Amino acid sequence: MSIAAPGQLNVNESPSWGSRSVDCFEKLEQIGEGTYGQVYMAKEIKTGEIVALKKIRMDNEREGFPITAIREIKILKKLHHENVIKLKEIVTSPGPEKDEQGRPDGNKYKGGIYMVFEYMDHDLTGLADRPGMRFTVPQIKCYMRQLLTGLHYCHVNQVLHRDIKGSNLLIDNEGNLKLADFGLARSFSNDHNANLTNRVITLWYRPPELLLGTTKYGPAVDMWSVGCIFAELLHGKPIFPGKDEPEQLNKIFELCGAPDEVNWPGVSKTPWYNQFKPTRPMKRRLREVFRHFDRHALELLERMLTLDPAQRITAKDALDAEYFWTDPLPCDPKSLPKYESSHEFQTKKKRQQQRQNEEMAKRQKMQHPQQHTRLPPIQQPGQHAQMRSGPNQNLHGSQPQVAAGPSHHYGKPRGPSGGPGRYPPSGNPGGGYNHPNRGGQGGGGYGSGPYPPQGRGAPYGSSGMPGGGPRGGGGSGYGVGAPTYPQQGGPYGGSGTGRGSNMMGGNRNQQYGWQQ
Amino acid sequence: MADFLTSTHRAKWIFTPQQLVEKYRDASQRAIQTLEKCGATLMEVDSDGTMSYPEPQNSVKDNAEKHSRSKPLSIEEEQSIKVFYENKLQEVCKNFHFPHKIQATALIYFKRFYLHWSVMEHQPKHIMLTCIYAACKIEENHVSAEELGKGISQDHQMILNNEMIVYQSLEFDLIVYAPYRSLEGFMDDMEDFCNASEDQLQMLKRLQDTARLEIDKMMLTDAPLLFPPAQLALAALRSSVALHQVIDFDSYLSSLFSRQNSTHTMSELIEALNTIDSLVMKYKFPSDKELKHINRKLKSCWGQSSHDEGKKREKKSKHKSKKSSSEAHNAPPPA
Repeated sequence: MSIAAPGQLNVNESPSWGSRSVDCFEKLEQIGEGTYGQVYMAKEIKTGEIVALKKIRMDNEREGFPITAIREIKILKKLHHENVIKLKEIVTSPGPEKDEQGRPDGNKYKGGIYMVFEYMDHDLTGLADRPGMRFTVPQIKCYMRQLLTGLHYCHVNQVLHRDIKGSNLLIDNEGNLKLADFGLARSFSNDHNANLTNRVITLWYRPPELLLGTTKYGPAVDMWSVGCIFAELLHGKPIFPGKDEPEQLNKIFELCGAPDEVNWPGVSKTPWYNQFKPTRPMKRRLREVFRHFDRHALELLERMLTLDPAQRITAKDALDAEYFWTDPLPCDPKSLPKYESSHEFQTKKKRQQQRQNEEMAKRQKMQHPQQHTRLPPIQQPGQHAQMRSGPNQNLHGSQPQVAAGPSHHYGKPRGPSGGPGRYPPSGNPGGGYNHPNRGGQGGGGYGSGPYPPQGRGAPYGSSGMPGGGPRGGGGSGYGVGAPTYPQQGGPYGGSGTGRGSNMMGGNRNQQYGWQQ
Repeated sequence: MADFLTSTHRAKWIFTPQQLVEKYRDASQRAIQTLEKCGATLMEVDSDGTMSYPEPQNSVKDNAEKHSRSKPLSIEEEQSIKVFYENKLQEVCKNFHFPHKIQATALIYFKRFYLHWSVMEHQPKHIMLTCIYAACKIEENHVSAEELGKGISQDHQMILNNEMIVYQSLEFDLIVYAPYRSLEGFMDDMEDFCNASEDQLQMLKRLQDTARLEIDKMMLTDAPLLFPPAQLALAALRSSVALHQVIDFDSYLSSLFSRQNSTHTMSELIEALNTIDSLVMKYKFPSDKELKHINRKLKSCWGQSSHDEGKKREKKSKHKSKKSSSEAHNAPPPA
C-alpha cells in the first residue's frame, strides 16, 4: 500500500477519493483572465473531451478559500439543469505551476484549484456581436425561453444568480443556452428577511431597488437583468449603459419613469431614495421608445422592466407570456445555425498570429480613432489597471478584426459567404469566452472575473475594426440592415465596445466577499 | 426532501457499517506504515492544499530507540479521540452561539474528514476548528478565521492552512443535510396529523425540544454516516415520544407510510430506527484517564516529545495570543 500523500501520487491516476490532478487535462489555450483566475480551454487526456478550466486564485485571500468560489461550487453542485452550466469536477494542481515559458507562475503558492466546466462555444454577447450577426425572432425567443427556464429553475431552488448579463449566458453549437458564473450567486429564503448586499449585478443590468440601496430583495433582481437583455436583443445595444450609479438610475428613470408611492409603494423608504429621487417629473416612455417592437414583446418587456420589484413579472409567468406562444414561435435550439466550431486550436492559433501581424501593419497605417464612448469608466478606484495587452488577448482579439475587415459584407444577413476565410458567417470564431468586444470581460461566463474598465475593449478590438468605427457602420450591430429592427446597431457600428461592464471590478472577492 | 434525493450527501456519503470499518482501518494502516517508516505520522499541510509526510529519519540508528517507543493508536483509541473533539466542537459552537445548522455541518465535515485520515496524520484540534470555519462559510454565517482563533486562543493561520485539505477531503461536497431541518418538517406534519389544539401545540413544542437534544446525541455517533437525516430525525422523534408518552407514534408512522410512496417497508424503517437508537445507547465518552493515556501516545506519534511540549507551553504562557513558534514557522507569509 502506497503511503504517498495525494499530492505525491502518480498525477495521472485519479486517487480513490479527493480531487483529481489538473494534469489529467491538457491545457490548450487560455480563453479568459480575471481576478478570480484564468480560464483555459483544455482537453481531458483520457477521453479527449474538451472542457473549460477555471483556476481559482488563492493568493491575497486573508480569509482562505474565496467565498465566491465556495458559493459557486456549492450552488453548482446543487443545480442540475440543461440551462445551467455543469460543474463537472474540481481538480487540483499538486506542484509548482509553470507558465508556458516554463517559468514558475507568478502565484507564490505551489498548488492551485481548478473548476472543470463543460465547454461552451460562445456567450450571448459574443455571439450577438459577431459582425453581420442578426438574430431571427424565433432565435431570440428560443434564447429568451432558455434563459427564463434556467432562471426559473434557479429561483425554484432558491438561488439568486445576481449577475445575469449576456456574457454570462453561454451558448453551444447545439443552440443550448446555459447560465454561468455563479460567483455572485447565493441562496435566499422566500421571506426575503435576510440582509443581502446591494453591490451585486453588473451596473447596466442592475435593478432600481438595488441602486436605491435595498438589502432585502429576491428573484425580481434577476428578472430586471433579463428585461435588460431582452431589450438589448431587440434593440441592438444595451439600453441602460450608465457610467456610475446616479447615471444608471437616471437612465432607468428616463425610460421607465420616476418611481413614486403610486407606482412603487414603499419606494420612498428605500435607503437612498431621497438622495437619488429625480428632481423633475419623468414619465414612463418605454412604450414610446420601443414602439417598433412586436406587440407581445413589448408587453413582456413592460412587465420585466417594472420598477416595483413586487410587481415585476416572475420567470414562471414570463414563460407563460403570449410572446412565447404566438407566431413566430421559439425555434428548436437544434435548428439554430452552427457558428464556427472553435476546436481547431493549433491552426487557429497560427492563423491568429498571422492575422495579428497583418493587423499590426494596418493599424500603423490607419491611426484609427479610439472608440471610447461606450466604455464605462473606472468605478472602483482600488482596481489595478491591467491593460489587456498580453499575448493571450491578442490571440483572441486579432481574429474578429481581420474577418470583419474591408471585405466584409456589412449588413448582409448571416449567410454562407458573409466573410473571408474559413468562417463564412462572421469573423469571430473565437467568440465564446473571450470576446474582444467585451474587452476586459475576459472569459465571460465562466466568470473569470471582470477586468477593470480601462483594460476593456482594446481600442481596435471592436468587431467593426477596421471597417468599423464611426464611419464603418460596423458589421456587427444586431439590427444592421435588418428590416425588422429599424434601430440600427448604434452609431459605432460594432455594437460591442465595452459591453456589460461588471462594475464589481477587480476586487470583488475582497469587496463583496463577506457581505451577503 | 427532493433536494436530498439528488444530493451528494445521499449519493456518496451514506455508508454501510462494513464500509466504515474498512475506511477507518485503511486510514489507520496508512498511518501505522508511516510511523514505521518515518518515525512520526503528522503531516504538514499548506493553505493551497499541498501536504507532505514527515521526512524519513536518516539517523535511524540514533533514533531507533526513541522511535520504538512511539506506538500507534488502535482504531478504538482513534475513535475515543474523535469523540472527545466532536464534543469540543459542539462546545465551541455553543460558545460562539452559532445556529444548530452550523454545528451539525461542522460535525459532519469532521466525521467525513476522518473517513480518509487518521488522527495520527492530522491534528483533530486543528481539523475541528477548520471544520467549524468551513461550516460558517458554507452556511453564510461568516466568522473570520482570526475571530474564531481568538475565541479559543489559537493561531488562526492553522485554520487557513488546513482549509484546503479539508475541502479536498470532503471532495468539495459542501452541502450537507442535518436532521434538525427534517425534524421541523416532521413536526409540521405532526401538527396536521393530530389536528393540534393550543394545548397540543405546547406539547408538540416540548416534543420537538427533546427530539433536538436526542439529535445532538446522535450527531456524536457514526449514525450520520450511516443513515439519511430524515431517519435520524424520525428516530429522535420516536425517542422523544416515548419519553413524553403523548402520541401514538406507530399510528403516526403508518399514516406517514400511507401518504408517501416509500422505498422502504415499514419494518425496514423500524429496524433502521432501532439501529440508530442502539448507536446512541452504545455511545461512550472516554474517561479522563483513558484520554490522557491516548493523548500521550498520540503526541509521540506526531513526533512531539514531551520535551518539545514543555517548551511550547513555556512560550505560550509568555505571550498568550501570539503564534506559537512552531506554527508560525509553517505558515506562509501573510497575504
